[in-house]
Amino acid sequence: MKLRRYARKRILAVDPTHRGFGYVVLEEPDRLVDWGLCLVRSRKEVATLVRVRRLIRHLEPEVVVVEDTRHPGCRRGQRVRDLLDGIAAAAAELGVASSRIPAAEVRQSAATIGVTNKDAVAKLLSARFPELEPLLPPRRKTWVSEDERMAVFDSIALAIAFSKVGAITMIRTLTTLKRYE
Amino acid sequence: MKALENYLRMYRKRAGLTQSELAYLLGVQSSGKISRYERFARRPTLETALAFEVILGVPIRDLFEGVNEDVEHEVKKRARRLRRRLAQRQAHKRKLAVLAAIVSRSSDEVMYEPLR
Repeated sequence: MKLRRYARKRILAVDPTHRGFGYVVLEEPDRLVDWGLCLVRSRKEVATLVRVRRLIRHLEPEVVVVEDTRHPGCRRGQRVRDLLDGIAAAAAELGVASSRIPAAEVRQSAATIGVTNKDAVAKLLSARFPELEPLLPPRRKTWVSEDERMAVFDSIALAIAFSKVGAITMIRTLTTLKRYE
Repeated sequence: MKALENYLRMYRKRAGLTQSELAYLLGVQSSGKISRYERFARRPTLETALAFEVILGVPIRDLFEGVNEDVEHEVKKRARRLRRRLAQRQAHKRKLAVLAAIVSRSSDEVMYEPLR
């Protein structure tokens, strides 16, 4: 079926870390336009919002996707909750829609195909997007904190979950990837 | 969705090159110029654009998709106008066919699943 190009969306997904944020910009259906990890030192919240605003102005996404902190299963701290609200507000200020996807939904989608942890999801995503492979952190030991590079993989999982029919697409994508593992 | 002016950053990162490495390959002094191209603050010359194509292995029209879309749109608009003008003057059939081909050439239609 032929669709006009404008039917596609450019999605910016942001996932904050303890000292910055990871982001991806995905053009539907699966073109990864930009990705990275922004580290900020002082005045983290303000600096993060400045960088996110700059990304929105530069890449002009149709939608900004962040984690849904209002979901009962959300385990984010107050600082990140406020920051995510700030990102959504910044997007609205710049005339861009924002969408919130609960992390639990992403986890559930992955669990349906037997992928039960973030490391495995990240590995599958790096197989699908080889450009992300250099960012793939080593498997986390239980006594080590999460590597901040994981924020990039969390962002892309959010973007994929948002894209098209959300969780169903995520399941389909991960299932296809698992077949080639 | 309107395409970005260029996708140099995306293809550079895919190739795993840094801005300074790309600057070196292009034969420019600093990576600042690459940054300006990637921020759409500056447009490269034809020689530089061709060098990008050689380095990144991607056709210019894909590297500069947004520019390409704008140029194509403008050319089509002019071709439509010229065709109308020539049709009134009983112009050569071949010329009209060429203009019709320009107008009907559709690069803005792509095969994708519908969004739900």
